[in-house]
Amino acid sequence: MSLWVDQYRPRSLEDLHYHLELSNRLKSLASSGDFPHMLFYGPSGAGKKTRITCTLRQLFGAGVEKLKIDQRVFLSPSKRKIEVNIVQSNFHIEITPSEAGNYDRVVIQELLKEIAQTQQVDLNAKQRFKVVIINEADSLSRDAQAALRRTMEKYMSNMRIILCANSTSRLIAPIKSRCLLMRVAAPNAEDMQAVMQHVSKRAGFDLPPDVAGKIIDDSGGNLRKAILCLEALKMQSPDLSGALTIAKPDWETYCHKVADLIISQQSPARVMEVRQKFYELLSHCIPPTIILKTVADRVVERVDEAIKADVMHWAAVYEVRMRTGSKKIYHLEAWVVKVMSLYKHFLFDMDLTGFDD
Amino acid sequence: MGAWVQEIYQEITDLDDGDWTSLLTLAITTYDSNYKRNPSQEQSARLAAASEAAAVQASLTPTPAPQAPASLVIQKDYSSAAVLETYGYQTRGLDVSNVSSVASTSETEENNAFKPNGLLGAGQITSSSSFTPNGLLSPTSPFEAESDFPSLPRNLIDISRSSTRTTTTSSSTVIRATSFGGKTLLLRRKLATSARRKLAAATQGRKITNLLDVPFHRLMDEKIKLKSSVASRDYRAPQSSNSSYGPDDTLWVDRYRPKTFTDLMGNDRVAREALEWLKQWDKCVFGKSKGKKRRRDEEENFDANDPHQRPKQRILLLSGPPGLGKTTLAHVIAKQAGYEVMEINASDARSGQIVDDRIRPMLETGYTVKSSKPVLVIIDEIDGATGAGTISFIHKLVQLTQDRARKKGRSSQPGEKRTILRPIICICNDINASSLAKLRPHAAQLRFQKPADVHTVKRLREICIIEGLKAETRALSTLVAVAKGDLRGCLNTLQFINSRNEEVTEAVVRNSTKGMKEAENSIASALNSLFTPLSKKRAKELGLNDEAETRYVSRLSHEVDACGKDSAIAIGCFLHYATLRRHDANFSRFEKANEWLMTFDALSAAMYNDGDFALSPYLPYMLVPFYPLFQERGAPRIERGQEDWDNLQLTKTNEEIYKSLGRCLQTASTRHGGDFRHLGNSPILQLEFAPYINRIISPQLRPINGQHVRPEERVLMSRLVDILATLELRFVQERAEDGQLTYRIDPPVDVFVTYDGKRASDITISRYAVRHLVAQEVDARLASRQIPDIIEKGPGKQSSFFGGAKSKTNNDATSSTQDDKPSPGKRPRTDVAAYIDIADRPPVDFFGRLVQPTNKKPKSGARGTNPLKDTVAQKFNISFKYKEGNSAAVRKAVKVSSFL
Repeated sequence: MSLWVDQYRPRSLEDLHYHLELSNRLKSLASSGDFPHMLFYGPSGAGKKTRITCTLRQLFGAGVEKLKIDQRVFLSPSKRKIEVNIVQSNFHIEITPSEAGNYDRVVIQELLKEIAQTQQVDLNAKQRFKVVIINEADSLSRDAQAALRRTMEKYMSNMRIILCANSTSRLIAPIKSRCLLMRVAAPNAEDMQAVMQHVSKRAGFDLPPDVAGKIIDDSGGNLRKAILCLEALKMQSPDLSGALTIAKPDWETYCHKVADLIISQQSPARVMEVRQKFYELLSHCIPPTIILKTVADRVVERVDEAIKADVMHWAAVYEVRMRTGSKKIYHLEAWVVKVMSLYKHFLFDMDLTGFDD
Repeated sequence: MGAWVQEIYQEITDLDDGDWTSLLTLAITTYDSNYKRNPSQEQSARLAAASEAAAVQASLTPTPAPQAPASLVIQKDYSSAAVLETYGYQTRGLDVSNVSSVASTSETEENNAFKPNGLLGAGQITSSSSFTPNGLLSPTSPFEAESDFPSLPRNLIDISRSSTRTTTTSSSTVIRATSFGGKTLLLRRKLATSARRKLAAATQGRKITNLLDVPFHRLMDEKIKLKSSVASRDYRAPQSSNSSYGPDDTLWVDRYRPKTFTDLMGNDRVAREALEWLKQWDKCVFGKSKGKKRRRDEEENFDANDPHQRPKQRILLLSGPPGLGKTTLAHVIAKQAGYEVMEINASDARSGQIVDDRIRPMLETGYTVKSSKPVLVIIDEIDGATGAGTISFIHKLVQLTQDRARKKGRSSQPGEKRTILRPIICICNDINASSLAKLRPHAAQLRFQKPADVHTVKRLREICIIEGLKAETRALSTLVAVAKGDLRGCLNTLQFINSRNEEVTEAVVRNSTKGMKEAENSIASALNSLFTPLSKKRAKELGLNDEAETRYVSRLSHEVDACGKDSAIAIGCFLHYATLRRHDANFSRFEKANEWLMTFDALSAAMYNDGDFALSPYLPYMLVPFYPLFQERGAPRIERGQEDWDNLQLTKTNEEIYKSLGRCLQTASTRHGGDFRHLGNSPILQLEFAPYINRIISPQLRPINGQHVRPEERVLMSRLVDILATLELRFVQERAEDGQLTYRIDPPVDVFVTYDGKRASDITISRYAVRHLVAQEVDARLASRQIPDIIEKGPGKQSSFFGGAKSKTNNDATSSTQDDKPSPGKRPRTDVAAYIDIADRPPVDFFGRLVQPTNKKPKSGARGTNPLKDTVAQKFNISFKYKEGNSAAVRKAVKVSSFL
């Protein structure tokens, strides 16, 4: 049995709860017969993939829901085997090229060419083209994006590409210009409340609006997170009464702890302590940029107005460096030291330069 | 003879310096009084004696050429023969004039030979104090005296030495002598020779007597030839560096290479252990058993199952820094134990092929072509070649030693491998080299340490003395310190200095060891020099003055560079800098340090990602700033931190868990029409799915009997089981160290909610009983899920029938495997749970309804049960094939009748 996130996922454009004008546009696009390449972007948990699936259904009918999942093996130029999971129906194919890491170009080139060069054989198919969905398009390497450019133009008759990304900033301009950009914004609180109520109704229980409100507050516009959270809550305290604690992901709690440590004391010993925590987080495979962002958010929340901007500025600076570098912990710690220094300066309200030299 | 000559000498030291003629007379009279011989002999002997005495005194001022023929043959005793040899050399020196100085000076000094000369005073005083009977020319004599004789051919000194050794025949203890002035002197005779020397003399003298009927000059030539060939090998043979024959064409390293076990220096224990290991082969190789005393040790090391009684570890792995004598040790112990060495070193190709082509045949035959001695294979520099073949080479080598003798019936086949009955010694520098990982467990490992500098210095000084190289002890210890105990490097440097005819002073040593300094460097030492100021001692070793000491950049960057592991040092710096005690009020130094680390990271990332290795020379400089920022006198020695490595390992482990969770999601999405596929993507899995799934699967359940469960709990339970079964998460029973049974979730997704070793507080830890209950349900569900696959192939009619059967069977199986321990009270619940599971099925259940009480299933064998439906002809006509045992080897068909 599936989790609620999947179980109560809307299947068609009519079922969608929010961004109704977007749904209408998608519907008219799908029925126009002139379907363009598309790029769906928006924050995590806003419903991009749901909308893509709904659009596909609108395009091809219920046939797209017959999914087949298998693994394909590609050979890298150095004869290394790359395994990529492929989800496909008769009408579309869905890939996540970032699974192939640095060799995503190979996957893009081989797979797309193969699909593009075969015509749709099913005469009953509603459309003459197949759709390729590329997930996590913003993590495509430059090479892969360049490989995509020409393919998108050349095989327009056989294939449409739907890209799905969190942000368009990492996509090269030629790709963006070839796509119809669809922004899927995060739902607002009322939208989310409506969805939550819908889920609870389908699941057969009453969700008190205040509980839903709490969950929504914590989720930060991420509907998937909110529904997962709801399900966890329902499992842990089935009657949804009494003092409910809305579960936060552990890494988030932990990041907040780190932020508190930074603020409460500034000393070399504390630097070491924070480093331990960072190591713990990194070993749990939490992306270092997320760590930095979460901790910085929390620090900014707690420090004085005067240095908020500085803290964020340095967080941004160190995040850039972290992306160019390879040893993430150096950059995390450098930021911590910077913040501690800033904070100390602020507390003593004087320039400590030359204090101990 | 030597003895009394020395006694005369002692007397002479008391005499007036000028009275040289009296000395000669004294010598002759003394000789006369002791040795009564025929005149011709006597004359020559007298002259010889005199000349020897004079030689001693005058530091080898050539004596007047005596008239005795060189070919004079004396048979009587060693002493006179030796005297003649001495004498012969004098004449030869004149005739052949290969000793140029002797020849040139002989005439001029003919007349005043016995007059005092300048050499007398100095030579006398320096040597008189150290003078012992036989001492001057014997092997243990102070070498200063010998090195003062620059023009004396080496072999001649030897000969004269042998003569002095053998003169022990006299019986009288007091010698009477008269000087020309009529003064009578009583010279007391000392019993000079120790037993050992006598023995040595006897062995050395024997050859000479046997050969004495050969004309003497021929004998001399022979001897010269022999000497020149032996000299290069004989370590103890003193050799004048500027001897007139034979160019100095051997390396000192080779010339002074220890030849016997007792010559080895330093690492005594390692040497002994290596020899001991080799000796353990004796039983196998030579077939002789050792003394009973050693029996006890053997039993520990010997492989009891080995028919050849070889040591358990058939390879000896010697490791250690270069120049400490690993190869030498291997050769020496091989010689000592009576083996013929076959050496394979890095100059040979190294592939698996070599093992088959060369090593194996050699080891199998056990003997080399030429020699009758058993062979011993030395594989030198085994870590050196890192080519593609190295791995397979080592793999084959290990295989070689592990091969067992096959059964006799099959051994006749061609190409059959035979067992290896000969020892193998491998030599490497770095024991931790990755290519050796496979070899290490199979080898007896011995590690060379750098011997104390004192020993190395002592050995160097000895060599310097032999070579006639003037060396300050200070300079030598500097050399050893710079070379870090590398004896080979030291010797090469010394030879180099010698070849330029310089004296070994500290300045010269510094000059000639410039390149040697940073030869090898460990990460720890580089870190220590980054964080601790230069000690005075080390500064002195490096020969830095005060000004150079304050300049650190090039010194440190060189040191970091020499280590070659920049990123490891960077990690070391990173782990260390915050632990220092120095106060840093505003974190300014921390900030700077971090800036440098980040620059380092940026550079190295650019270097590795873009393959732009031109950047690498700049990397060491990024770490140098830690020195001015953090150097701290008296700080504790830095150990290399493990944190980063541990973290990396942990990350890898967790990545694997994520991967397996991802696989679970994938299978779930395959089964459920792609439902879970969006949850498995990279950041969502870690950030959202992993924390929440842990909460979803840990509801609060009471461990109570299934019949008393409230309906809402039952709903919760079934939902939980659904999710677990869908994701194929299972609870696996495990026994903790204290013997307590626990259920662990597999894959262990609970690590994602465990930080700092603590679980998140809002997740209740489900109790054993609950998990037990859930585990059974999940297993049952998973088992029943497999059934549809089976049914699809069979007749549709039977589906419910077999579904039930299978379900029940599997449930039984799981409960019998997992349910060994729990209290009997829980037992019924299992059945209840299983019953609920199949309750909606029609009661045609084959095993479940127990319609055939006689056909009881055996519980014990249930584990391996794999009911196959071979033929289903009629509704209840079933043949059930059961195979007992769980491995193909012992599996056999068992008929149902045997169970009845």
